[in-house]
This record gives sequence, structure tokens and C-alpha cells, in this order.
Amino acid sequence: MRSVRDLVGVAVAGLTARWSRTLLIMLGPVIGVSAIVAAVGLTESAKGDLQETLAALGDNLIRGEAAASFGADAPTFTEDVVERVNRLATVEGSTATRSVSGIITTPYEAARSYYTAFPTPVLTADEHFLDVMQVELVSGRWLNSFDQDTAARTAVVGIGLADEFGFREGNRTIKLNDLDYGVVGVVERYPLDPVFDNAVIIPASTADADFDVGLEPDTVYVRSDQAFTLETEAALPVAINLGGDIETSTTVLSDALEAEAAADSTLQIIVAAMGLLALIVGGVGIANVMSISVIQRSAEIGIRRALGHGRSLIAWQFLIESVAVGLLGGLTGALVGMGIVVYASRIAGWVFVLSPELDLFGIQLPSHYVGVPTLYLIGVGAALLTSVFAGLYPSVKAAQLEPLETLRLG
Amino acid sequence: MSDTPLLRLDEVSRIYGEEVKVHALDGVSLDIEVGEFVSIVGPSGSGKSTMLGLLGLLDLPSLGTLSVDGTSVADLSDHDRSTLRGEVVGFIFQQFHLIPHLDARRNVETALLYRQMSPRERKHRAMGALEVVGLAPRHEHRPVQMSGGEQQRCAIARAIVTEPKLLLADEPTGALDSTNAANVMEIFRDLNDGSRAIAIVTHDPAVAASADRRISMKDGKIVADDQLSGGAAVSGFGGTLGDAS
Repeated sequence: MRSVRDLVGVAVAGLTARWSRTLLIMLGPVIGVSAIVAAVGLTESAKGDLQETLAALGDNLIRGEAAASFGADAPTFTEDVVERVNRLATVEGSTATRSVSGIITTPYEAARSYYTAFPTPVLTADEHFLDVMQVELVSGRWLNSFDQDTAARTAVVGIGLADEFGFREGNRTIKLNDLDYGVVGVVERYPLDPVFDNAVIIPASTADADFDVGLEPDTVYVRSDQAFTLETEAALPVAINLGGDIETSTTVLSDALEAEAAADSTLQIIVAAMGLLALIVGGVGIANVMSISVIQRSAEIGIRRALGHGRSLIAWQFLIESVAVGLLGGLTGALVGMGIVVYASRIAGWVFVLSPELDLFGIQLPSHYVGVPTLYLIGVGAALLTSVFAGLYPSVKAAQLEPLETLRLG
Repeated sequence: MSDTPLLRLDEVSRIYGEEVKVHALDGVSLDIEVGEFVSIVGPSGSGKSTMLGLLGLLDLPSLGTLSVDGTSVADLSDHDRSTLRGEVVGFIFQQFHLIPHLDARRNVETALLYRQMSPRERKHRAMGALEVVGLAPRHEHRPVQMSGGEQQRCAIARAIVTEPKLLLADEPTGALDSTNAANVMEIFRDLNDGSRAIAIVTHDPAVAASADRRISMKDGKIVADDQLSGGAAVSGFGGTLGDAS
């Protein structure tokens, strides 16, 4: 144990005696590791928003759409589709919607021709919508059971439409085919299904009363037990059909976002590989300088051998010097990389991701490591490994030096 | 001579080269006892340096046996031979060979590394050795801040701090002016107190004359091995000749 301490002392003295050189060869690992950490950290943070959204919205929302058997126009479910779906034990809640076609929506008279050419989607929804979708209102309230029961001319608009119309605050009316609807609320952006962002949402009973479309929904959103999303998705068409002839196509809504979040990993691997390359070049730099150092310090090596230090101790001394450079460089590089990620995330307004669930170069980290700075550890580990390899050759060369030849006797 | 001298060379040859063999040392037999003060003299190419490498356990004989306290060195591993060298031999070189980035005390401490010794103990011993050579007040100075004489005294401190049984010096005054040379030889005479053997390789007759025994070499052979009474004329230290037995 004391020998180890002595070795570290000798290595530290050797490194501190040549500060500028030590710092210079440390640059390699610093640049390499900071590049790796920054590359992975930045790409992770850049899609941190997306992942945060996914985490907030959950990956257990299934959309079921009434599918057209060949030739049928505007297929629908039965009126009691929500009840049918809720009979599944793995369903936590569901809500039904229907798109109402052929409606001209006019926020104000002057824009009539524009909105005739580009109609705004009109949807019906029930009172479970907010709970099942787990979406918030920006202002106002949702359509309630009173609206449904009395077929009230109330409407909620998506935030995109609200911004377009200037509807965020205050009571407004909107014309649907010349009928005035009161806008009672604005619903927040819903990333999993953007159709609501620019839609006018009205009670199903009102739609039937005013436009004679019937009460049958064409889409059902189902919140499943987290653990049984796939099973629920599979069971959904049967539960809805109940022996009838209703076709249902299903989608797990988070799948699309997850694919988008994963799409960045190619870029991430390329940049991280470049960092790794820089690290390897840095390692070659360490090996070079250490080899020269061994030649320059051959007298020192000779005298240490004469003082009774064996070959292995000489080898260890130089290996430890090399590893110390790699370790210190790696730690510094990881810190620099983290700094870059934090700073860039702040500027860009990203969610800073310190320790992504990495799947880098095929190394899949167990989920319980999330929360410790895995990226940091990987960077430092890579620098450490590089410096060990870099130090091997110079160490062996140092150990092979013959003291008689380096001491110039006689 | 006792049965197991400190160092024994028995018909030792050291041959360099594969095809053209050079006998740097040619069948030399020699005993060195604790308490002796030996000088090894001879012209360039006489085999002095080869002898030094062998006596210092830095080299191994090609033929014959070299034993320390009766144990043949040839059978030892590098690690064991290094450890033995660290225990038995203290080196002093013409060019001092101090480690430039360490101060005087740390240079001396280098000889005490890897010996399971606490830093405190190591420092204490190093300061003691520097005291012996009169360099304790300058223990924080690095080699570049010291004169040649001071550097050589520091090197002597490094050599004696391990309390070796053999002090092996290679032209210790060769790089010094006459005042410093006299100073260093004075230290050697002080160190010749019977507790160790001192061997100095030199071609300076004055240095050789300080010793009690002079081994003269030529062409890889010992041509003369004289007990000198002259050493006694320089000072009273020559009287330790009989201490070896």
C-alpha cells in the first residue's frame, strides 16, 4: 500500500516538474472527452423537450378510428362506444370524438371567403376529454354535461385557432354555418394528436341538433393501464365490434413521437465517434510525449535503478504518470463538455439532459443508472482506458533501459 | 579474509559482443570486506567501469560467480537483485546524477522509496544524512541551485541514507575543483569508520592514495593489489585496516 503511495508521489512529482508539458498533453483527452460529452449531451438535450413531453403525456393512449369497409363513406362507431371500451379491464378511461364535415367556420364576417376555401375542422367531444387526454385548458372551461344535455351552442377552440383568431381571453362568438356559438374555452396544444390544435370542438348533441349528423362518434381515445397498452390495443377492435361489423384501426399515439426522438441518434453517434477519434489522437500524443520523456529522463531512470528500484517499479511510475494525465484530462474534459451542454441548453431553451438513458455504441445502460451522470463516467472511463494504452509502450521502454548505459560510468 | 566476504568475485569474466568477443573483464578474483577502503585504478579500457557495474550489481558476470554475503547474484530475479542492490550498495557518480526536479531532501529520500517507510521517518532519515555531509541547511535547494561540491555531497547523502555495506564511487571528484574534491575526500575518510566498505574507481593518484588498498587493473585483469600504508600518512583514518576481521 505504501509502495502505491510512493509511486503516486513519484509520478506526481514528475508531472508537476513539467507543468506546461503536462498541461499540453492533457489537452488531447480534454478535447476528446469534452467533444464526446458535449455531442451526446447536446443531442440529448435538444430532444429533451420531446422526451419530457412523452413522459408527461404517457405512452398508454390509444386512438381507435372507425375504419371504412370498402366503399362506405364516413364510417362511425355505435353511440355507446365509450361504454363498450370501458368494459375492458385494462382500460382506465376513454373519450369519443367525431369530425363534422361540411361546416363553414367564420370567426368574423370579413374572413368568410377565406374560411370557405380553407374550412376549419369541427369536432365533437364528450365531457371526459380532458381527463382521458390529460391536456390542460389555456383559459375558460371545457364542454360540460349541461352543454351536452341541452345541446347548447358552446365551443372550445384549439390554441392554434385561438391565436389565429385572437381568442385567448374573453368571450367571443364564432359562426358555424351562420349559427353563433359561444367560445367558452381554449385548449392547450396537444402534441400527441395535433388535430385539436386548430379545431373547433362542440358538444355531440349540439352537432346533431344543428347539423343532423347523428350521435355516433368516429374516433375513440383510450387511456390504458400502463403495463397493458399493447394488450389493450389488440383487444380494442373486438370490444368495440361486439360481434357486429365495425372495423377499427388502432394507433398508440406516443409511437410517432418516440420514433422522432430516436431519429437523432445517428448524428449523435457520428459526433461522439469524432470525439472518440480526438481522444485516440490525444492518446497517441500522450504515448509520443511519454516516449520522449523516457529518453530525456534516462539518467533519472538509471539512478532509480541504481538505488534499487526494480524494472516493474520504473514501468509503474511512467504508467501512473500517463494514467494521471488521462484521468485529469478526462475529468476536465467531462466538466468542459457538461459546461457546453448546460450553456447551450440555456441559450436554446432546451431541457438540459445530464444523464440520458444512453444507448451509445451498443452499450445499453440499466435504467437504475439514470440519475447518476453516466455520460460523465463514460467520458472519463474512455480517457482512462486511452491513457493506459498510451502509457504501456513508454513504460515498457523505460523498464527496459539498462542503468549501465544511461549512467555513463567510468 | 573471512569465509563469506561482503563481495566476492570468483574467476569473473565479462564478455561483450557476439561474434567479436571483447573480454572487458578476464577471470578476475577479488574479495572486498566490510571496513575496507579500496581504490580501483587503471587506464581507460582497463575494465574499471565493468568492475564498477559488477560490484554495484548493475551487471552480471558472463563467466564465474559474483556473490554478496555468500549468495550468488546470478540466480536472483531482477526484482530481488534490485532490492539487494538497494540494501547493499550506495552509488556516487562523477556527474552526481541527482534528479533535477527534486530538492536535496527529496533526492535523498528517493533512495528510501518503496521500503514501507512512513514519510515522516523518510524525511527524518534524509535530514540525518544531509546533516552528515553538512548540507542540512540547504535541503530545500534543487540541484541547479547548488554548486558541484554541494551536489556531490547531496549525492553522498543519498548513497549513505540507506546505510549500505558498500559505498561505490565512480570518479567522485572528477567533476570538482580541488577544494571541493578535498572536501569530498574528507567526507569519504570520515565515512571509513569500519561499518562499511568503500570502493572508489578513479584514475586520480591522489584519490587512490587516500585509500587503504589499491587495486590496479589493465586489460581486464588485476595487475596489482596493494595494501597502502600511505593512507595513514594523510590522516589517522588509515588505522582501520584490521577492523575487517
